[in-house]
Amino acid sequence: MARSIGVNPDRRQAPAAGGRRRRRTQRSRDGRAAITVSLAPMIDMAFLFLIFFLVTTTFERAEGILTSRLPEDAGRPTVALPVSPIVIRLAPTGPGNADCSIRVDRFDNVPQRVDALPDFLRRIHELPGFDRDTPVVIVPQDDVRWDHVVGCWNAALRAKCTKIAFAEP
Amino acid sequence: MKSSRSRYQRPPRLAFNATPMVDVFFMLAIFYMLVTRFSSAEQVPMDLPRPEGSLAKVAHIPERVVINCRLADPAHSSPSSALYSVGPNQPESLATISDRLASLKRQSPDLKVIIRADRRLDYAPVRALMRVIAHHKIDMLNVVAHVAEGE
Repeated sequence: MARSIGVNPDRRQAPAAGGRRRRRTQRSRDGRAAITVSLAPMIDMAFLFLIFFLVTTTFERAEGILTSRLPEDAGRPTVALPVSPIVIRLAPTGPGNADCSIRVDRFDNVPQRVDALPDFLRRIHELPGFDRDTPVVIVPQDDVRWDHVVGCWNAALRAKCTKIAFAEP
Repeated sequence: MKSSRSRYQRPPRLAFNATPMVDVFFMLAIFYMLVTRFSSAEQVPMDLPRPEGSLAKVAHIPERVVINCRLADPAHSSPSSALYSVGPNQPESLATISDRLASLKRQSPDLKVIIRADRRLDYAPVRALMRVIAHHKIDMLNVVAHVAEGE
């Protein structure tokens, strides 16, 4: 009698019908119990992961490292004389020093775009007395943007220069 | 007989088919799990150099210290004034950073220093930092730049 408390009298037959249905799902035709996996918790977890990634992700370009050897005295190039280095001088140009001009000591027709600098340095390497081991000294002026300095450094690396140093302007 | 069956026949239920939605959500979750790289706390957000045809490589350097060098006030200040900070720490003066480097160098002689500098900065503040690094006989200079597209 206590079990019938709260049960709608009109639905007293429902448990029997539901029980029959449950038995049908839990037992296969040969009478053995079927194993079922509840997907609801897995979907919940996937939703949580998705919300976490959507909230926390910011799309940025990956960053890497350019490695070089720093001179013992950062203010002066440590190049062994009498090898004459390739000296690249950078000076700021344009409004707000947004651009830079490139000058290479003892060489004319220097490209004014950093992306053309690797080919220019490769042509220098083909000249007698120069090769990839010829030191490259980058001499930026104080107000040259760091972006141009790194661009010039990267250009020297693209030209397979092995000895790259910085010097005071 | 027919009328009694129709009387007890249930009306058609409007059901929401959640399967395609779950499929799409799974796809999105897998996409984010594959493409996400968790950035280190020492990578302070800044506008890094983007050299043409960058040869910068993603590398893991074990004994390292990252020094961030960013614009003091990106909106108004001149590119000659910079804030220096070791990793995720608060900005410090170059003298304090020099003391920190001396201490770290004593603990691990093979210490590598990585400079993360804003691309809009002048060369002068970065050169000042390079001088401090060279002063402690740390000869390997590692500069952070964006890697080339597609890598």
